[in-house]
Amino acid sequence: MKKYKNIAFASLLMLLVWSCSDNDFLNVDSRERIEAQDSEENYTPEQFLTGVYGMFTDWDYAFSFLAVTEIISDNADKGSSPGDTGADKNLFDELTFTSTAGSLSAMWSRWYKTIGRATQSIEYTKNYGLTDETYKNRLIGEAKFLRAICYFWLVRGWGDVPLQHVNAAERAPKEEVYAFIEQDLKDAMAVLPNSYSESDLGRATKGAAQGLLSKVYLYEKKWQDAYDAANEVITSPAYGYELLDDYSMIWRVEGENSSESLFEFQARGDSPAHGIQQYSQTQGARGTTGWGWGFNTPSENLLKAFNDEGDVIRRDATIMFRNSVLYDGYQLGNTENPMYNYKAYSSKNKGAGDTDKNIRYLRLGEIYLIKAEAANELGQTTQALGALNEVRRRVDLPDVTTTNKDELRKAIWKERRLELAFEHDRWFDLIRTGQAKDAMTANGKNFVVGKHELFPIPNQQKIDTPDMTQNPGWN
Amino acid sequence: MKLKLNFILTLLLVPLFAFSQQLNVTGTVTEKSTGDPAIGVSVLVKGTTNGTVTDINGKYNLSNVPSNATLVFSYIGMTTVEEPVNGRTTINVSLSEDIQALEEVVVIGYGTARKVDLTGSIGSVTNDVISKQPALNALQSVQGKISGVNIVNNDAPGSSPTVVIRGLGTALGGREPLYIVDGFPVTDIKNISSSDILTMDILKDAASASIYGVRAANGVVLITTKKGKTGKPKISVESYVGMKNILNQVKMANAQQYIEHYNQNQQMIKIADPTKDPKLLKDASAQPYDTDWYDELIRTGITTNNLVSINGGSENVSYYVSYNYYDEAGILDGQNYRRSTIRNNNEYLLFDKKLKINQTVNLSFSNETPKPFGAFNEAYRQSPLVPVKYPNGRWGMPFVNTTTGIATYEGAPTDNFGLLNSIGNPVYTVESYNRKNSTFTLQGGFEGEYKITDFLKVNSRFGATKYYSKERSFSDIKDAWLASDPTRTEQQFETLKAANPSALSYAYNSLNLRNIDTYRWTWEGFATFNKRFDKHNLEAIVGLSREEYGIGSMSSMLGYEVPSKSQYWNMSMVSGDYTTETEQYSYTPTAIASYFGRVQYNYDNKYYFSGVIRRDGSSTFKENGEFWGTFPSIGLGWTISQEDFMKDQDFINYLKLKGTWGELGNQNIPLNISQVITNPGSANTNYVFGADQHLVYGASFGTPAKDLSWEVTREWGFGIDYAIVNEKLSGSIDYYNKTNTNAILLVNPILDSPYEGSFYDHGAKVRNSGVEFSINWRDKLANGLVYEIGANYSYNKNRVLDVKPTYNGATGGSLNDGQITKRLQEGQPLYAWWMYEDDGVWQTQEEINNAKVKYGTPQPGQLKYKDQNTDGVIDDRDKIYFGSYLPTSNYSIHLGFEYKNFDFNLDGYGVAGNKVYNGLKYGRIDGGENIAESTFKKRWTGPGSTNVHPGPNRMPRASSYYLESGAFFRINNISLGYTFNNLIAQGTSLRLFTTAQNPFMFTGYSGFTPEISSDGNPSLTPGIELSAYPTTRNLLFGINLQF
Repeated sequence: MKKYKNIAFASLLMLLVWSCSDNDFLNVDSRERIEAQDSEENYTPEQFLTGVYGMFTDWDYAFSFLAVTEIISDNADKGSSPGDTGADKNLFDELTFTSTAGSLSAMWSRWYKTIGRATQSIEYTKNYGLTDETYKNRLIGEAKFLRAICYFWLVRGWGDVPLQHVNAAERAPKEEVYAFIEQDLKDAMAVLPNSYSESDLGRATKGAAQGLLSKVYLYEKKWQDAYDAANEVITSPAYGYELLDDYSMIWRVEGENSSESLFEFQARGDSPAHGIQQYSQTQGARGTTGWGWGFNTPSENLLKAFNDEGDVIRRDATIMFRNSVLYDGYQLGNTENPMYNYKAYSSKNKGAGDTDKNIRYLRLGEIYLIKAEAANELGQTTQALGALNEVRRRVDLPDVTTTNKDELRKAIWKERRLELAFEHDRWFDLIRTGQAKDAMTANGKNFVVGKHELFPIPNQQKIDTPDMTQNPGWN
Repeated sequence: MKLKLNFILTLLLVPLFAFSQQLNVTGTVTEKSTGDPAIGVSVLVKGTTNGTVTDINGKYNLSNVPSNATLVFSYIGMTTVEEPVNGRTTINVSLSEDIQALEEVVVIGYGTARKVDLTGSIGSVTNDVISKQPALNALQSVQGKISGVNIVNNDAPGSSPTVVIRGLGTALGGREPLYIVDGFPVTDIKNISSSDILTMDILKDAASASIYGVRAANGVVLITTKKGKTGKPKISVESYVGMKNILNQVKMANAQQYIEHYNQNQQMIKIADPTKDPKLLKDASAQPYDTDWYDELIRTGITTNNLVSINGGSENVSYYVSYNYYDEAGILDGQNYRRSTIRNNNEYLLFDKKLKINQTVNLSFSNETPKPFGAFNEAYRQSPLVPVKYPNGRWGMPFVNTTTGIATYEGAPTDNFGLLNSIGNPVYTVESYNRKNSTFTLQGGFEGEYKITDFLKVNSRFGATKYYSKERSFSDIKDAWLASDPTRTEQQFETLKAANPSALSYAYNSLNLRNIDTYRWTWEGFATFNKRFDKHNLEAIVGLSREEYGIGSMSSMLGYEVPSKSQYWNMSMVSGDYTTETEQYSYTPTAIASYFGRVQYNYDNKYYFSGVIRRDGSSTFKENGEFWGTFPSIGLGWTISQEDFMKDQDFINYLKLKGTWGELGNQNIPLNISQVITNPGSANTNYVFGADQHLVYGASFGTPAKDLSWEVTREWGFGIDYAIVNEKLSGSIDYYNKTNTNAILLVNPILDSPYEGSFYDHGAKVRNSGVEFSINWRDKLANGLVYEIGANYSYNKNRVLDVKPTYNGATGGSLNDGQITKRLQEGQPLYAWWMYEDDGVWQTQEEINNAKVKYGTPQPGQLKYKDQNTDGVIDDRDKIYFGSYLPTSNYSIHLGFEYKNFDFNLDGYGVAGNKVYNGLKYGRIDGGENIAESTFKKRWTGPGSTNVHPGPNRMPRASSYYLESGAFFRINNISLGYTFNNLIAQGTSLRLFTTAQNPFMFTGYSGFTPEISSDGNPSLTPGIELSAYPTTRNLLFGINLQF
């Protein structure tokens, strides 16, 4: 028996030896991805900031974004084949969407995720221990600018929305949201440079922050502030912004990051390619000579608006017509839809997933119109006419001469429509200016006053945070 | 291990016999099926204790045999034969296998047990069952053979079936059972030749499986491969050739039907949008083509399989060597899968047979040229008016001259052209798909077993698998550009290329090379104590194991413009005009440490107790360091038929009650730790900056990891095993109730939270409860006919319980067009169907105008949906539950006959209680896709025509209309064999057979196959037919030769 005792003892000993090292054995390190606790030795704050910029290249901007900014409005139709609904794009076109529409929750969520990344980037930059204060502050300023872009979309779309860093389950009054946006933009203006070196082109500038601020003020009807901000963007030699002579050049590769541009979402079509995912493809012409899905097409209503104004230059830079020759010589045949969004066209990459098409987020043309509108509201008719006609002269349209405040206001609004068509502004502009009911009715859509001014809080959000209030008229 | 029960019985039962003339009798005992000498067979003069056993050559020599005596030849597992001596001095006997299933020995993990001694539920399949249903993967052969084991076959070459044991309990990875081959855990058994498998034992219940605690929650499949048998070398040759065709082909609309359907749709568009002119097609007689795409796409698949094995051994060494070559040409042109396996299993007995060393090694090489299953989808949808190729050799595309109404790209310069649809040419899709995958798997192990005493032994074993995979994928970008439009020219491409240097769309081609290597190893040590004290039988084991898997790395290179000949497809031969993209990383391995013990006790083979405890640590739970989990189980059994009060009757031969309770774990999720997200491609963490717009790689913080630990599955069950009427009728009944108490779900963060990536968290309970019946009748008639009738039935109810409120309602089942079809919801099966309920068809515009509730802007001929919550709008909140894709019932039947040298088998398999989404019928985007003939015939054609089926202008909207019963019954095997024994020499045999696999299927389903598992992830496309490989009918001819 002694022999077995020895064996048993030896086995037991062996077990013990193993036990001691068990937790070392099990403590396996992550290899494919860097553990968050190791981030500081592997990632610079700038990389996390790049991660915030990167959000604006997400696929959501190529499809859901079109629904909630353009297809919903009188400028655009769903397009594509009648049977291809694009999941819910038809419901936006018809104005029959509900709180379960995927495009709404996609954008709501995309903007909050971007805000989340921006906030994390700011915190990370603050705590990283950068010694170059200017550089550190610039990174923080860029993130705040990007965060402001997202909150601005949210507050325009939904009114009261949660401030994520305060309470993600409760909606803050929209005044507080606007205050937060203003603060972010003012902070950004204080630290951002007027321009960047060649290798950093495309980052948020002070001019971009101020330009956006003028637009925010416009929505808040802070006319004087809007006027001042817009005027400084236009006139400040430090910024050096200038309108391009040729309106149609703005959307070509040559017009990227031009003197007119305040801020663009950057895209690259060459290998290694990285563009705004499928943005040119979803809106590309559909048919034998096409390259895309054919969504978000110009409406007859928009075409008529151009024609009524005799606005040939902007019409032909905005709308790509069936059976026409494009600026690059491409022969567009008998496409499925009569018209497509020219501003999304990439000559070089056509319908590739990644194209060279930058989305023009904010440009000087709009700043002139902000200035015009604010000036008119302030009773500075001459200033208003000056700014407005600056924009009109470029496209060979006669000057507006009315000095009647109401007429001039309408003229400026109309100008905004024609100048900014398909720049993802129309729906919010209709709501802001109170033209929505009439415009949508004229377009054959049933706009319900008291309801359609705001989007519904997405149903999934309501499921996750049941106490969050819903907007009027929605469930 | 095998107790010589018959021997003892014989001793006890037979009274002493009269004494007469004494003879010396000699002879040879052989195994009937193989002709091998039967070694160790007991030869006994009936009614005496005078006996002997056969030697290594099956010979015996027995003296003092009365001339009128009867000899009794018995051996465990074989039928006992009684031969009257009648004065003979040479008596040769061949023994056939015993039909008493209950004497079977099964593998239980770290040991074996007689089936009668089990307290749990273990399903076993032996090699002869597998070999009667030849297939690449042995799991395919056992579909329907074991109750409670649901195997969803996939007939694509080289694919693995999906195996679900006692219901789906987990929502994530780790749904598959654990596979253990010769004691070593492996990822799958694709690399193992079916013919090398001796037995497959499936541990179904918690008490049995818990010896493999950590990963046993989905059951355990134990594979034992063949070993050499002592004796002279035996060579075995198995060959078959098979031909495969689609079993259940859907008849598509022809050109004329298509045109009628198309034109009707065009007219509906005109009604909806008066600005559009209907583009009508001319009659079929005017159209140049009428293509049957399935005819063009599908060929007869050919499978050949050849195996040679040799085994034998001396007293101390035995060997088994086999070579298997399997070659399958799939039903798509160019689709091919080839696999070679080489196995060598040796066993050495050393030091007076005290030390046994087992060595196994398996090499497997596979070469595959896959083809995209999307072609099946395209063949369904592409218009019959489109040719495979135009007369000038250009690929057919859905071009239509809208001026003339003819489906062609040609016409007058003023003619307008359009597209019938946006579907590709399926034949081009298959032809242009240029991939090669090759794998090499080296798997093997050593095991030493040392017998310290006759009741105590220790085992130590080490096993490992090294896997290499190489994938090559080539895309001819220029060719695809030309193929997509017959009017395009090479010159145009060159012009565009010159105008757009460095645009990837105009690179000539791209080449992707991908290499993966992985490694896993296991080391285990355990001691086994086995002793009998009077009527107390005790076996106990205690052991430990260490395992690491997922060690390895991946590298991938994507380059552009390599020379067009495949021999030059090297990354160093790219043109250099484009950046070659590389990706490389190492995998995070998983480490598992375990301790286990098991006690099995019985008293007098009547009362049974077993207890298992296993403690496992897994590296997965790194975030909180809670590596460890402990999994206990117990089993109780009572063999009533052994009781004295049962001795007096002979109707019930065997009756056993058993009950089990146990806990099992599942840890199969990726390393749970908060991470930083980066991506080397075009992802939303990256951005371009600068005048040159250079790509800059950024990062973002991943969703913080939650406090996770083991998924614990708790199961209890009970069952009855029985055998009656001289063991002719046997079977079992089992009930189980199995609850995954804290299922890990992949959860999406709240919409307005900062984090994007979905994360893992415990979020629900998933319960599977069910019953399993199995019944088998086997008898031998006086004329020598042996027949067998068997049936299995199992019922499983799957329910999700106690979902964390915010996780309720996670959706899945995407149709890839923005529509979803499934949802995880408390009280329903896991990811059950969830969609609109169709409510008839809009008949007229007036009806639509007057309707209060409608979805979007419908048209006559489109489906109506029910406003379930009566809030006046149709949206997601009107989607409701429609059952599950998971069958509730699985059943199978088996018929077998053996008469003289003939054998005949018939098997059938069926499921019920599931629903299948006909995604082929559903999806129509442009209205110009083709439809099935039945869809054409039943469609709405105008007011009053039908209120069930929509017209041609259907909307792509997931609704119950497309959900069909997935019930089917399939005859999955009919085989007939004839065996020539002793053809050339004693002990040789030749079996010729022919087998029809899946000759018939009975189903109401209108698509190709209701058996759709995809990758088995319940939140994805199982149960949705979109691009599934059709079930095939397979006719095999083969021979098995042994000498």
